[in-house]
Amino acid sequence: MNEDQLLQLQAWMDGELPAEEARRVEALLRTSPEAEALVSELRVTKGFLAGNEPEAKVPETRDFYWSKIRGEIERSAAAESAASAPAPAPAWLLSWRRFLAPLSGLAMVAFLSVLSLNLYHRAEQDPMQHLVEVENLDETIGSISYKSQSENMFVVYLYNKDQNPDMDEDELFDDQVLQ
Amino acid sequence: MSSQPEKPQVPDETLVRRAQRGDMDAFEELVARHRDKIYARAYSMMRNEDDAIDLSQEAWVKGWQRLKQFQGESSFVTWMTRIVINLCLDQLRKHKRQRAESIEQLDEELGGVERQMPTVTVNPTAGLERTELRARIDRALGQLSYEHRTVLILHEFEDLEYKEIAKRMQCSIGTVMSRLFYARRKMANLMVSYKREELS
Repeated sequence: MNEDQLLQLQAWMDGELPAEEARRVEALLRTSPEAEALVSELRVTKGFLAGNEPEAKVPETRDFYWSKIRGEIERSAAAESAASAPAPAPAWLLSWRRFLAPLSGLAMVAFLSVLSLNLYHRAEQDPMQHLVEVENLDETIGSISYKSQSENMFVVYLYNKDQNPDMDEDELFDDQVLQ
Repeated sequence: MSSQPEKPQVPDETLVRRAQRGDMDAFEELVARHRDKIYARAYSMMRNEDDAIDLSQEAWVKGWQRLKQFQGESSFVTWMTRIVINLCLDQLRKHKRQRAESIEQLDEELGGVERQMPTVTVNPTAGLERTELRARIDRALGQLSYEHRTVLILHEFEDLEYKEIAKRMQCSIGTVMSRLFYARRKMANLMVSYKREELS
């Protein structure tokens, strides 16, 4: 018999074969005394093992055995709760903190400086950029605006209407002035 | 003198439910009831008292930690036995990685020795008392390689099917079948040799 057949005999004895394969093994058993003897031996072994597992007793007292289990349960519970708490900063980070704090202040100053310079340059490029609309509610004061892209300039002229009654601001708002 | 009526034992299921609610006294009672069985399983697999104590205690700790997962599909002691078996298998795998396999062990794994054994025709345990039979089984188990011993324990004592054993031992079903076959053959022949010792 080859190894496959030996293992098939065992699987048949253990009830692990599908019906068709089981029928093939049964046919073999009817014709092979060797197969029959082997199955008999396997059955004897299975039989004397069944229900005769060796027994063993813990070689420690109940209290001592339990104390080690309890201790481990408590230790792992404590470790678990410590792990779920926020971890303290490592020592190296604490020692670096006194250097990092002033450095972060300097970094903030540098950032604000760059930002303000950037705004200043933008304002230089386009003076209209940060103009806001101002409403003149005083009926005695008139205003004339002048903007020059080429000169990069914007001028608002305020005058007293009472002293210059002939000035008409609508007339001054021609295309040439506003260009 | 009148005998005191025996106090009825609280069922495992009740103790498990209490332990699941955090009652450690109930869990201690479960440990006391089943510690020998769990230890015996660890010992039969490891063949070493210290390992068996450590692993059985580790199994109880894991049992406590996973107690909420226990749904009662099997008995509590069966559930605990599965935990200790898995721990033993992990430990045996670590040991196996650490030690160099000898040619002899490899030969045994392949069934090279068992292939040559004569078929046992007479029951070598006939007439033995149970205590003696168990002692001989224990002795024979100690002479098997860990692969053969483990597969035999899982199949004969834990009633696991080939598929389940393969899963636990992380090997193929074919390997399980082969290991079980040669473990049984070796066991039978060892029992015959003990019988001969007795007669001589």
